[in-house]
Amino acid sequence: MDGPLVMVWVVRLLFLALLYLFLARVVRSLLRDLRAAARERGATLGRLIVVESPGGDPEAGRSFDLDAITTLGRDVNNAIVVEDPFASFDHAVLTYRGRSWYVEDLGSTNGTYVNGRPIASVAPLGFGDELSIGQVRMRLERARSA
Amino acid sequence: MTGTSRPATPAPVQLPRILGDIHPRPRWTEARLLGIVGIALVVGSISLSAGLTGRLALYDPQGLIIYLLALTGAHVAQVLAGRRSDEVLLPVVGMLGGISLLLMQRLPQDLVTTDVGGSTLGLGDVQLIWLVLGVIVATTLGIVVRSDNWLRQYKYTWAAAGIALLLLTFVFGSDVAGQRLTLRLGPIAGQPSELLKVILVVFLAGYLSENRPLLIEQDTRLGPIRLPPLPYLAPMVAMWAIALLIVVIQRDLGAALLFFAVFLALVYAATGRISLVVIGAILFFAGSALVADLFPHVRERIDIWLDPFADPLGAGYQIVQSLHAFARGGLIGTGLGEGLPTVGGRPPIPEVHTDFPLAALGEELGLVGVIAVLGLFFVVIERGLRIGASAADDFRAILATGLALVIGIQAFIIAAGNLKVLPLTGVTLPFISYGGSSLLVNAVVVGLLLALSDKGVEPPPPPDRVRRWRDRLRPRRASSRRAI
Repeated sequence: MDGPLVMVWVVRLLFLALLYLFLARVVRSLLRDLRAAARERGATLGRLIVVESPGGDPEAGRSFDLDAITTLGRDVNNAIVVEDPFASFDHAVLTYRGRSWYVEDLGSTNGTYVNGRPIASVAPLGFGDELSIGQVRMRLERARSA
Repeated sequence: MTGTSRPATPAPVQLPRILGDIHPRPRWTEARLLGIVGIALVVGSISLSAGLTGRLALYDPQGLIIYLLALTGAHVAQVLAGRRSDEVLLPVVGMLGGISLLLMQRLPQDLVTTDVGGSTLGLGDVQLIWLVLGVIVATTLGIVVRSDNWLRQYKYTWAAAGIALLLLTFVFGSDVAGQRLTLRLGPIAGQPSELLKVILVVFLAGYLSENRPLLIEQDTRLGPIRLPPLPYLAPMVAMWAIALLIVVIQRDLGAALLFFAVFLALVYAATGRISLVVIGAILFFAGSALVADLFPHVRERIDIWLDPFADPLGAGYQIVQSLHAFARGGLIGTGLGEGLPTVGGRPPIPEVHTDFPLAALGEELGLVGVIAVLGLFFVVIERGLRIGASAADDFRAILATGLALVIGIQAFIIAAGNLKVLPLTGVTLPFISYGGSSLLVNAVVVGLLLALSDKGVEPPPPPDRVRRWRDRLRPRRASSRRAI
């Protein structure tokens, strides 16, 4: 076995080893990223951001973290209190079922609107969709990550 | 914008910030990973030189250095721009491109030649030019794209452009090797189906995110299966028809399979309903069986796939040679530059640089190397799905998912074709196959993924039709009417 041939073999195996070293480093950084995301999430399934609120309560720009069942209305016992003259006391409820959000109108006087359209009873709500209760407009967004 | 005033402050006028307002942000993960890419490619180049010439030196040092400089430039540009985008994507794609460069330098240079300014460039140099252009395109898109409105708002325009492109290829495309893929416009020749896959994803992201609520609803019942309202199934049927048309007219099984698989994957991602996917798959296989019955060229492809050894020197030649190449490679391969004994001055597998790069890698890097390459593709898919999972709204989520899946599914289709797992189709192995259209379009995909992963991108715009509800409001109490 002469020297050059051994070197050729060393270089060949080194290249394959480096490919796997690279893959291992990439996977390590992916795992770190996933763990960080897992720590951060879990608490919330999504959030509701107030886009417009003429009454100022809740103020525009405020963000609510959502539970799997979140009630909205003027009554103070609601998870999100919407202090708007056009909102009913128990106006609507947001629920997370399966893998998506749904909004249900609880027989409010003025109805609940998704993207400007009134909903009959229950309607699916996608991330990025706008929910209107009284004059308050809110947008459903994913939980903030990293 | 509608006329009503908004409480939020109006967006400040964004002047193009070229210089003077630079906020560099270090990207250590990317820098470290790119370092390993550099070392690995240098070792690979030495190994290639040892295999081809017997000397332990860099093989074509110029090309390798230019490519590594391009990657470094992409990294520095993103650091200077202060982007908080994904740091794994560029090194992984850079590694795939580097492997491509080594492979193309290694194959006979006269497979592709181009005359530029009096000198003749061979396969490796042409591929290097496309790779560097691809790096530039991906980086520029990743830095410049700060808003996705141009994709989001014009989804039907994009769809129309895509269909127009498809029709142009149907009518004016030139037949190469029995497939009508190439469209020539004067001196420029390209493969529109490469671009079409991105347009398809953009359109589907727009369509599915807008109609997601309706697709989730289960109105129509068909025996035990519950379907969304019938009008919303129309695009599905249209997609099915287009996929079959591509098979019949373009004779491009790969593109049809790719488009339909991406379509079904995105429908599933958007609705989470497996029944739609099952129905789509059944439709596709029923249609394929029918088409295979009616058209001999499809039938022939499938026959070759089922038994390439029936005609090992004719129809089955490519795939038989590919299988032999994998077999010669074994576990760790013959080493770069030492495989592929030529037959009469040609490599044994026809079109090895476009259709069979995986077979060439399988021979020279072995099973170990092929698994590493497939692992890199899995990382690309994982990054895309991660970017989609943390996107702010449905459009971006579906867009990122689709862009990653387009690359992943395409890699799977051609890898499976080379290995005789699926019928052989003419799609390229992303980032590795020779070819300008393929490299540039995949660079666009990477650029868009980088842009979407940036945590500083413009927030998604509010959905349309937001204000119609205002006219219908009735005050709950008479007294509150005055308050408004």
